[in-house]
Amino acid sequence: MTNKQKYNHVFMETFGISEGDLAELEYNAIQAWDSVGHMGLMAALEDTFDIMLDMEEIIDFSSYKVGIETLEKHNIHF
Amino acid sequence: MDSFSLNSVELQDYQPNRYPFLMIDYVDKVCPGKYAKGYKNMTLNEWFFPVHFPSGPNMPGALQLEALAQMLTVAITTLPGMKGKVTHALSHTVRYRKEVLPGDKFEIHTEVISWNRGICKGKGVAYTNGEVACEADMLITVPEILEEYLPKKK
Repeated sequence: MTNKQKYNHVFMETFGISEGDLAELEYNAIQAWDSVGHMGLMAALEDTFDIMLDMEEIIDFSSYKVGIETLEKHNIHF
Repeated sequence: MDSFSLNSVELQDYQPNRYPFLMIDYVDKVCPGKYAKGYKNMTLNEWFFPVHFPSGPNMPGALQLEALAQMLTVAITTLPGMKGKVTHALSHTVRYRKEVLPGDKFEIHTEVISWNRGICKGKGVAYTNGEVACEADMLITVPEILEEYLPKKK
């Protein structure tokens, strides 16, 4: 799996959504991406990519797109 | 961390519920961040027995679950810096195995599976007379901590 595929898979598994829903997805835009969903997403991304997100990154992780930028700072290239 | 016990007065420093909604009497052993075990004694004087049900008193399932959640909460609120913090339930899955009756000792074992960023994932099992009465997978949060990690509204 490419990093992009892994990233997408985490979102789809965590929120029970399809790939077509990802591009413009933002925090709180769907019921599943609430506070608990957000923590679940962070944990799943950390496990998948073997990284540790800091508090500021977790707070700033407000959308699918922003998440890509965050992971790129951790040398995860898409 | 060392484990310790909490009597019915001491546990109130770590569990904000009060009569008639405090569902634990004693914490036999708590290891902060890891587990909490204790019990609630059932007496015919409980407020819920006369109404649930008049012809066959038994502890409501919702209150059995509440007892498990309250005990799990103690495992978190006994951590350094957590005393007095408010906890909220997020999601529980519970299974009931037998009735809990007046005169029973409701023995509660809870375990912290993970505690991270204000969310505690845990499990609890309660026994009466050596048999499982109910068990639950629980997710509770300390909102004050969880909210620090959430994206802020623009």
